[in-house]
Amino acid sequence: MASSSSSPAPMIAERRGIPAATFVEDVETYLTQLGLDVNSSLSFLQERLQQYRLVEMKLLAQQRDLQAKIPDIEKCLDIVATLQAKKGTGEALTADFEVSEGIYSRASIKDTDSVCLWLGANVMLEYSCEEANALLQKNLENAKASLEVLVADLQFLRDQVTITQVTIARVYNWDVHQRRIKQSA
Amino acid sequence: MQQGGGSETEVTWEDQQNINKFGRLNNRFHELEEEIKIAKETNENLEDASNELILSDEDVVRFQIGEVYAHMLKVEERLETMKGKASEELQRLEEEKESIIAQMAELKKTLYGKFKDSINLEED
Repeated sequence: MASSSSSPAPMIAERRGIPAATFVEDVETYLTQLGLDVNSSLSFLQERLQQYRLVEMKLLAQQRDLQAKIPDIEKCLDIVATLQAKKGTGEALTADFEVSEGIYSRASIKDTDSVCLWLGANVMLEYSCEEANALLQKNLENAKASLEVLVADLQFLRDQVTITQVTIARVYNWDVHQRRIKQSA
Repeated sequence: MQQGGGSETEVTWEDQQNINKFGRLNNRFHELEEEIKIAKETNENLEDASNELILSDEDVVRFQIGEVYAHMLKVEERLETMKGKASEELQRLEEEKESIIAQMAELKKTLYGKFKDSINLEED
């Protein structure tokens, strides 16, 4: 990890398993340090870029999953809240629900203290309204927190992709520049 | 965003961070455009729904909560709350978009200032 005296923020070596792209201060020093010629270093950088892209796709898929999960949890919270609101009045809640595509049936939901929550993996548990609320809130918070971490990971990853792309361009340009100098010499 | 030319302008860590920041802002800008589109649709749908409600004569409205349609009587209030939230959300997104556009313009000035033709920050 290196940082010059005038840089605004320090470099991070890696984040959650994603290696950081080394920032190149000077192309010539970089190439001599690595001991690679231009073509090998370019292919190394390209390979790194590919690896970053793979991780990016994985993270994007996870992000889509979380972004679908959050509205689902919010809908469940909504229903539990509606049931709780109806509890005081003593009336039954009439609801139309989908039995099959395009076919709906009517249900009368009487005053109730408990709800059943689908936990996944063919498991459904009965909870009291308060417990259900607490569980759903916790799930919602966890999902939102995971999403935040994921978004930060993606930003870090995209930064590394940008750094690698810029390094590739600079190595290439340096090579072109060197060839021009040699030609004119 | 591509770089071209065979010039020898040095790239400092600060420049790199500016480029990174521009990339992040650009990504966020595109995400926001998508989100704003969805938010506008939601706003329109709620508007249509409340207009339909005024026109319809029935007392009982089948209001969608989650996956079921619950029979409710006092739907107007709920709808108004939803409309309020939706328009607040839309405004928040629009403001974020404005801020990002301003920040990107600043960065463009700085980066074009240093790199001139060696850098391209336009949409392809």
